[in-house]
Amino acid sequence: MSMGNNSDDNQELFNSKYILTDICCWNSVQSVESMERIVQQTDYDALSCRVSAINKGYLPSPCYQLEKCKYLGYKEIHLEYLNGLRQVSRRIYGKVAKSLQSSYPVMNYGTYLRTVSIDTELNGILSKIGKEQRVQIIDLGSGSDLRMIPLLHNYPNLKFIDVDYAESTKVKSKVLWGTPSLRELLKLQEPQVDQLVRSDIYELLSCDLNDLNETCAKLDEVTDVNIPTIIITECVLCYMTQDTSQRLIDRLTNLYKIGYWISYDPIGGAHENDRFGTIMQANLRDSRSLEMPTLMIFNSKEKYADRFSPLETSIQNMWEIFSRIPQDEIKRLKSLQFLDELEELKIMQTHYVFCKVHWGDV
Amino acid sequence: MFDLDRVISLLRQGRHITEETVYALCLLSQELLMNESNVTHVNTPVTICGDIHGQLHDLLTLFEKSGGIEKSRYIFLGDFVDRGFYSLESFLLLLCYKLRYPDRITLIRGNHETRQITKVYGFYDEIMRKYGNSNVWRYCCEVFDYLSLGAIINQSVFCVHGGLSPDVMTIDEIRSVDRKQEVPHEGAMCDLLWSDPDDVDTWSLSPRGAGFLFGGQQVQEFLSRNGVDLIARAHQLVMEGYKEMFDNGLVTVWSAPNYCYRCGNVAAVLRIDDDLSRSYTIFEAVQPQNDVGNTILPTRKPQMDYFL
Repeated sequence: MSMGNNSDDNQELFNSKYILTDICCWNSVQSVESMERIVQQTDYDALSCRVSAINKGYLPSPCYQLEKCKYLGYKEIHLEYLNGLRQVSRRIYGKVAKSLQSSYPVMNYGTYLRTVSIDTELNGILSKIGKEQRVQIIDLGSGSDLRMIPLLHNYPNLKFIDVDYAESTKVKSKVLWGTPSLRELLKLQEPQVDQLVRSDIYELLSCDLNDLNETCAKLDEVTDVNIPTIIITECVLCYMTQDTSQRLIDRLTNLYKIGYWISYDPIGGAHENDRFGTIMQANLRDSRSLEMPTLMIFNSKEKYADRFSPLETSIQNMWEIFSRIPQDEIKRLKSLQFLDELEELKIMQTHYVFCKVHWGDV
Repeated sequence: MFDLDRVISLLRQGRHITEETVYALCLLSQELLMNESNVTHVNTPVTICGDIHGQLHDLLTLFEKSGGIEKSRYIFLGDFVDRGFYSLESFLLLLCYKLRYPDRITLIRGNHETRQITKVYGFYDEIMRKYGNSNVWRYCCEVFDYLSLGAIINQSVFCVHGGLSPDVMTIDEIRSVDRKQEVPHEGAMCDLLWSDPDDVDTWSLSPRGAGFLFGGQQVQEFLSRNGVDLIARAHQLVMEGYKEMFDNGLVTVWSAPNYCYRCGNVAAVLRIDDDLSRSYTIFEAVQPQNDVGNTILPTRKPQMDYFL
């Protein structure tokens, strides 16, 4: 199929669909579909934040992403993707570009922290496993994330599986296929009609993580439960209910024999005078009808990590991670944009956590 | 000429002010501020207010909870603009009060009252959104250059936005600074607007990249050398609204509740009475909607607030 012809049709499809769901929202009817769309749209925020951090020079980090992880062409990959996105959906591109116009340092610092933390951890696990045996990464709710490209380039023994809502994977598939450089990097095969791109090293799965049977059935087709498996949930569990997220964790940590789970999420805060979480819930509900059902349940590092018990876990908040960044790198960050105060950064970053889980023996 | 009371009424409602009116307002304010000294003398009783950061509705609450400009005297410690959605209205309202009641309000410059910082932290973008050009931002920046650097209450309380400077031993030395300029990157004027108190033995580098950290010893020496009892400053978010340090020789006052609409802190103002006693008034952020469900704060925020 040819991209040019299809993109217009799909633009139409997008628009009509969104008009419908908008009306649903106005009537305060929170249908499953509109909730799904609201959560799915958080991907554009993540993408805008990442592009903004790249734009200002926070990413790629020379010491973490370039030197340690040996990432190549990080900025170029993102710019190519953005270009491709403009061809596929002007609406989404416009959204991402618009929020780029003003980007506060505090947001760029936070994006930097989450990105380099996950990248560094992934690289650490992969280099420990070595390049001899097969290994797979499952990025749950991957959205527009592009870390599979440098990782697949660096680890020929790696298979990368991106999982997200159909709406999200559809766009990603088109952008990747429509961008020759990315298409080649991922060795993509021409997709069948109504199918998503795939290759021997890369799979893009459409599914709703709330539907555990569907998720497991689709993962079963493309993954091997007997090889080391790294699961990523970056701002994903926070949108799920307590039961659904727990079932997902239990099922996948049982399914894969040897595994690592890397999770990044906000926590509400456990101190009695801490109102950050309740205000965050109210702000997101008022401004975009976005719910975070477990923000106040797993409101501390301990409670968050406990979801993975009895597995081996270690958890830090992002402020703790920030405080261990070497002085040279801090100096570099400071030279990019003037950070006028640390108090706000501290409040925000103490309410986001980075959790590492390990089970089974390599 | 414009009708000052009418402009005040419009500003209190967060309504649009024409570019011409802003220009006239800024010009008058400049003339008034030009004649003030770097460190203004203020008499008790007076209410000291910390950072406002464009939170107009919370500024209105501040006046409501502390007697109001019609009845009380105020010192604002700076940082009127940036971060919040109503930097312009907040700053202009304070300027209008200054024009209307010149001896009842003292405005001190904060580290955000500069061209460089407002370009990054929201005020410039707000003006571009509201006017489509940067003229109003330029007029306001001209006024920033004329704001005082400090105030002294009854020869007993020294007020400043940030804190002390290794280049300033006596309050008199501040008087010789040429303040009518963009805030420099170093030196006395910069430090007064940027420095922070901390648990340090001596002058130390600030993690902010401007100003210094100073400790209890620097504060005690400054107080005794200048014969004052208290340094009142703002500049740092305090979750409880205020924080006294160094045997009550220094206080941080913070007046932007639920800072950036997400930090969850309360705000405070400090009243100094004729007998120099201190009393704090704590207040909460205005609710996003009033009791009949009408929106007070804009729901379409121009900025992403969280990591999603």
